[in-house]
This record gives sequence, structure tokens and C-alpha cells, in this order.
Amino acid sequence: MEKEFLKTIHDYQKIIYKICRVYRDSREDQEDLFQEIVYQLWKSYPAFKRESKVSSWIYRIALNTAIAVYRKSKLSIEYYEEFPEHIHPSDEKIVSENEERLFWALRKLNDSEKAIISLYLEDFSYQEIAEIAGLSETNIGVRLNRIKNKLKEILK
Amino acid sequence: MELNDLKSGWQNAGGAFKSEADLQKMTQVTHHPSLKKIRTKLIIETIGLVFFLFVYYDWFDGGKKPFSANVLLVSSLLLYILNDVIGYISIARPIRGINLKLSIQNYLTGIKRISVFSVIISFLYGISIIVFLTSVINFTKEKKLILAGIIVVLFQMILLSFKIWTKRIKNLKQQVKDFNLDEEK
Repeated sequence: MEKEFLKTIHDYQKIIYKICRVYRDSREDQEDLFQEIVYQLWKSYPAFKRESKVSSWIYRIALNTAIAVYRKSKLSIEYYEEFPEHIHPSDEKIVSENEERLFWALRKLNDSEKAIISLYLEDFSYQEIAEIAGLSETNIGVRLNRIKNKLKEILK
Repeated sequence: MELNDLKSGWQNAGGAFKSEADLQKMTQVTHHPSLKKIRTKLIIETIGLVFFLFVYYDWFDGGKKPFSANVLLVSSLLLYILNDVIGYISIARPIRGINLKLSIQNYLTGIKRISVFSVIISFLYGISIIVFLTSVINFTKEKKLILAGIIVVLFQMILLSFKIWTKRIKNLKQQVKDFNLDEEK
């Protein structure tokens, strides 16, 4: 079982990486959250019956862990109130800056908004997002519109 | 950056940075960022308290103290250990439901319950030690001052514990509120 679990997590670790970058600011906190998520996935793996997609299960556990686990309080410094430069998606370096800008914008949202937009960006359907979040499809639609507008403002 | 770019940006982000060996280590409590420390503290505290339970009767003249003071001390120490263990298990298990909303609501309920028990049991634990140590004793002015000092420290510790729990509960309440937004309308 452990081998199968490790292979699954290895193949899907991009998801955990992205959740960590959205929910935590510093590299150290992201690394701690990554470990915490892998630990929680391992604990809940025996109960995973494969009735849902592996990615849905990983997202549910990872988002739940990121939201519920207590964060160490830190100095109230806003590292990037404004993102420093405009981005032109032409070469590798810029692509990485684009990625940085994406996560910077997502970190400005509240925790439930981060969860919903992460699932949307991963291409889950409204029905799947609603099931993972525990909300109605209508509510997901309303919230996504609001989040998109908020992101437009942030990225302006 | 347009909103349409967000999806491709998101889906292309990240990579296979961790090896299976790295991931295997992360499945163990000994490599857990916070549980490892909590578990070590729990083990040391439990060993210390159990040791105290075995020796207190001889070392602190348990036979000369009232039976009720002995019962109070032993029961509060056992409750304290039990609460520590339940608290650890509770904190280690944040996944409590089939979806995010339900899980966070259940986690909040569990943490609230643990926080109430934790504060009450800490209070009882402190009081029982004071009652035990001060029973059958002739109080002088100095001893009264020392006792007052101990009581002040005890209340400060309980207040600190209460503040830490309150902060954690406030954060979880905000998450539950965010998830309930619009659904109640």
C-alpha cells in the first residue's frame, strides 16, 4: 500500500506544491505545509476508495489541511503590496515571473476563495467544485464571478 | 496578465521536486513539522507526571495529608494526562468530513470542546497541587505570600492557554463564516 501511495503522491505532487504556494507566504512555511499535507494524505489513504478522482481526493485533503492547520503568527509585513513589474510572456525567466505574479494575486484572496479558484483553475467542473467544497453549484457560480472580478482588480 | 492566462499558468506551475524517498519520510510523525514537537512534549510530560504519581506519596508525605487532597491530586493528574493525549490526537486529525465546509465545522467543534476541557483541567490540576501542598501546614506571612505568588502564576498560565485557544478558534470561526457566506441567504 505504501509503494502505491508514494507513487500516486509523486505523480500528483504538483497539486500539493501549488496549494502550499497559495496558502503560505514564506518558503519555510510552504515546506512545512507540504509535509503536513503528505502526512494527512497518508493518514486518510486507507479510507480512499477511488470512487472519486485521485486529484479530487488530493485537493480535498490538501485544501482542508491548508485551511484548518494552525499558522504560526508572524510579523505583519506585507511583502508585495504591489507586484514590481509588468510581465511579458516570452521567455523562461518571464514565465517564472508570470507564475510568481499568479501566486501573488491568489494569496490576496481569503482561504475559501483560494480553495474555489484553485479547483476552478485546475479545470474541475462546477459540480466537482461544489462537492469538494460542500457548497451548492449556484453558490460556486456566484462566488467564482466575485473572485474573478477581485482577481481582475488585483492584476490590473 | 489576463484571466484566461491564469488557468494555463496554474496548470503548468510546479514539478516533481520531491523523490519518493523524500515523500516516504514525510509520512512519519518523526519528520512532521509540528506534531513531532508536540509528541515529544507529551511523552516527556507524561513520563514526568506518572513518575510524580509513583513518588509523591513518599516524597511529599501523602500519608499525612487528608484523603480528599490525595484523591484530588491523583485524579487531576490523570485527567491532565488524558486531556493531553486527547488534545494531541485531536490536533493531529484536521480532516473531519467528506467536504471542506463540513470538515472545518467539525474540526472547530472538536477544538472548542478540547479548549474548554483543557482550561478547566489545567485549573483543576493547579488547584489540586496547591490544596495538596498547603493542607496540614502552619501558615506564616511568608508562606502566605509564596502561596499568593503561586496562585498568580497559575492564573497567568491559564490565561495564556485561554488566549492561545481563543486565537485558534477565532481563525477557524472565520473559515466557517467564509464557507457559509451566501449559503444562508
